[in-house]
Amino acid sequence: MKNRLKVLRAERDWSQADLAERLGVSRQSVNAIEKGRYDPSLPLAFRIAEVFDLAIEEIFQRDA
Amino acid sequence: MNSSARKQEARPGLWGGLMIASAAAILGLKLSNAIAAPILYLLLIIPAGLGVQYFRAMQSKSAACGSISPALLRYNRGIALSSLGYATGLGIAVSLWNRYDPSPPAVFALALLPAIPTFAMIWVMGKYIVEESDEYLRHRATVAALFGLGLALALGTFWGFMEMFGLVPHVWAWWVMPVWAIGMGIGQGWMSLRDRGHRGMIAAQACGRTPPVRRRDP
Repeated sequence: MKNRLKVLRAERDWSQADLAERLGVSRQSVNAIEKGRYDPSLPLAFRIAEVFDLAIEEIFQRDA
Repeated sequence: MNSSARKQEARPGLWGGLMIASAAAILGLKLSNAIAAPILYLLLIIPAGLGVQYFRAMQSKSAACGSISPALLRYNRGIALSSLGYATGLGIAVSLWNRYDPSPPAVFALALLPAIPTFAMIWVMGKYIVEESDEYLRHRATVAALFGLGLALALGTFWGFMEMFGLVPHVWAWWVMPVWAIGMGIGQGWMSLRDRGHRGMIAAQACGRTPPVRRRDP
């Protein structure tokens, strides 16, 4: 699954640690999700969407 | 105290190095027959104490880097305590078994002395997987545990057949636990390396704080 976490972070000038703190997860989690090595659960995907004030599908896209 | 100062003060490498050096020195003394029980067991308190300090330094460094969860903290404490129980239980059991000729029920009790702390280790590991609220860390712990289990099953089965055909000597079954733990360590190490990569390694050395990515203006 592809995602726009890195771009969205850049728009807000957040580091991975900043985002991790907002989500209440470890920095490793943010790094793994951002790099596409780990797909978050539905509850965490909703939390990510809430933090960015976007819909889930605006952040995560299925691989073509 | 800020996080970099705490990280600087923690010095887990120093404590880990001292622990290994003291354990190696005691092993050298034992192999050269310069010492024997109970002096040996008394001296083992030194690397055990250094090991506790190493654990505390690692926790302090991880806390300063923001990469430790409450569940991981409880896991580290549980493993440290059960390891101490294992070393103590093993020392007592081996000493009594060597000095006396215990009856079968007493041998059963002696075997339980080092075994009960290993049961505690398994329980602590399971409890960590249940309690870890960070789903990615939980995923990593589960993958590492499965990696260790796979290694223990594969190696145990292969060794068993080689032993049956007289190719290798007999190995005691309690080795399954260290092999599982080694496999888990390999699994965690492999995932850490994969997560860090080249750029991540540099960031991790700087206490895991990656700088914010800058947006390019159109």
